[in-house]
Amino acid sequence: MFWGTVVYAVVNSVSLMLVALGFNLTFGISGVANFAYGAFYIGAAFLCWIFLNTLGLPYLLAVIIAVLTTTVAGALMYRTVLVRVRGQSLSEVIATFGIGLAILELFRYLGFIGFEYTLPVFEDKSFMIAGVFIDMQRIFIVIIGSALVIGLWLFTHFTSLGLAFRGIAQDERTALTFGMDSDRIATLSVSFGAGLAAIASTVIIPLGTISVSEGYDVLIRALAVCIVGGLGSTGGVILASFVIGFAERFTDTYISSHWTMIVSLAALLIVLIFKPSGLFGKQKELEERI
Amino acid sequence: MKRYTWIFVIFLSFFGLVIGPQVPAAPAAQPIIVGVPTSLGFLEGKEGLRAVEMAVAEINAKGGVMVGGEKRPFKVESIDIRDAAPGVPVPEALLGIEKLILEKKPTALLVGPFRSEALLAGMDLIAKYKIPLIGSIAMTPASEKKIEENPEKFKYVFRSSLDVTGWVGLLVGTMKTLNQKFGFNKVYLMNQDVLWARGTAKGMEGWFKKSGWQVLGHDEFPTGSTDFSSGLMKTRALGAQILFTCFDMPQSGILVNQWKSMKVPALMTGFISPMAGQGAWKTFHGKIGGLLNAVFELGNIGAVKYPPATRFHNAYKKKYGKYIEAGHGPAPSYESVYLLKDAIEKANSLDADAIVAALEKADRKGVMGRERFSPGHQVIFGVDPAKTATGCFFQWNEKGQRIIVYPPALAEGEIQLPPWMKPAK
Repeated sequence: MFWGTVVYAVVNSVSLMLVALGFNLTFGISGVANFAYGAFYIGAAFLCWIFLNTLGLPYLLAVIIAVLTTTVAGALMYRTVLVRVRGQSLSEVIATFGIGLAILELFRYLGFIGFEYTLPVFEDKSFMIAGVFIDMQRIFIVIIGSALVIGLWLFTHFTSLGLAFRGIAQDERTALTFGMDSDRIATLSVSFGAGLAAIASTVIIPLGTISVSEGYDVLIRALAVCIVGGLGSTGGVILASFVIGFAERFTDTYISSHWTMIVSLAALLIVLIFKPSGLFGKQKELEERI
Repeated sequence: MKRYTWIFVIFLSFFGLVIGPQVPAAPAAQPIIVGVPTSLGFLEGKEGLRAVEMAVAEINAKGGVMVGGEKRPFKVESIDIRDAAPGVPVPEALLGIEKLILEKKPTALLVGPFRSEALLAGMDLIAKYKIPLIGSIAMTPASEKKIEENPEKFKYVFRSSLDVTGWVGLLVGTMKTLNQKFGFNKVYLMNQDVLWARGTAKGMEGWFKKSGWQVLGHDEFPTGSTDFSSGLMKTRALGAQILFTCFDMPQSGILVNQWKSMKVPALMTGFISPMAGQGAWKTFHGKIGGLLNAVFELGNIGAVKYPPATRFHNAYKKKYGKYIEAGHGPAPSYESVYLLKDAIEKANSLDADAIVAALEKADRKGVMGRERFSPGHQVIFGVDPAKTATGCFFQWNEKGQRIIVYPPALAEGEIQLPPWMKPAK
């Protein structure tokens, strides 16, 4: 039972990490808290479903087009709306939250209600690991999640665009003096964040069904992980995902599943009390600000 | 004289062709407003509203409801109160109901709150405005208790769908069958952490213990949970033969996927809403064979042995192009319209108290079976549609068919164990 719990805790942690990576990337680079994140997550899944079931495209092609469309939608959101309120945190939050709400409720209005909206698993097999059966889709989650983290690290350390991302994230004014276009980088960061949400969605959702309400849950989970880890810190997101992911599964197994949902919120509360910037947060501590 | 006749004919023709149609026709009968405040963003609410609209269209096509010497049509006004959505507070849902009452002035409310919590809190509101409500989703028996304790205040609240007490009765019958047929007596319980599911699981846990079953564990999962591995590992490790489930959230489909992928050798029996409809076979890629799932009310599933249920089930498909997917809600919502129509015609009035008095005496043979209200204003459910309204248990076979296996009055086949399970006797 213990090792079985560890196996599922690892999967849960990587799922959380996948869900939070995109939100964290956007905030870390551009400072935009993209509250439409959950809508992009669900939107990508619905798009994939439409491409697959209505247009009859092959699954892989449907996934690729859904991810690309969502990535473009993220860029469009920045260029048409966010660019006008850039730097005004409250306006950014209100604008993105409004857009997210509109997207999610539009799906509801269009009749995307019910249980028939599912995506097939990539491969329908299960394996015995540490005395417990685990399905191939969860193994894919771990593989893709790990690959994304490594890929992001390589991208931000060894490509000019990635270095520009880090430059803007470290000091936007200095980066500007080096000729980096902060609006272009911000557009790309929102766009890549939306794309990461789409990847997370197409990898995780085959385990269950696509539902509008999931969009709100995903946003809350991404926020909880990012705040515990420290907004903008990739290392923090990874650590927080594993702390929350393990805590949730061990609570399920050894205390009661009744309390699982409270774990992430309790972690959030504790971190906000003792370390307001999060575990690896780069923002100023409360006392420093005072 | 002939000339005057021609002028007269031309005048009449002109009057008939041009002016005539502009003369106002006799005023159309004023519609009777029925309000549908429910969670329209959830399957049960969406299909419940459709079923109400279907019944209203049928009644209006026949002229409407006879009241005060004239036939008046029904008109549906709906509002999404979102009470099923996680995180929506009950007071917000109640505001939606109040808005509908104040703005649309309905004669009666149908379908009603999705969550029992909202129904219980809303009973005071219904009492305040004195508008009959025939609910068809929320399941708590606590509403009946409130009505019996204070009938004068809460008499306006009725329920046409299965309640938790009837649901537990259905479950007990099925569990007894599993025990007698296969010797199963070890159970692990998993339910969603909402009032109706908690009530069901608590009731069943008590029954299992009293009946000599071993209850190996009991997990409650908050709405929105997406991983059930811990409960399934315990089910497997402790050697449970039956995995009892009670869920109505979309994410509960994950539970069935995990049950299959983790190869848990326990027969999953209970209610998982995404598994109730015919579409589940395609949705879950044919991986649900062997699962025993309930349909709370006949009509939400067709039944070979009760043709009215099949007729309604097929008529719904003909009208909306899709079979009913919800295992709970649409059939009683449809019946609610007819129960209301019969009550208005019997009372010959739109007065709330008169309608309530007529509803209390209702006795109708509908798509769920025979429908009468108990003193707690709950349609009486049992195991024979000739005597009471009825729900059923079906089993998914490997051909993707839903075979009704309980109650015996409706059974189309016997419970079959999946190949990876063996009887205990």
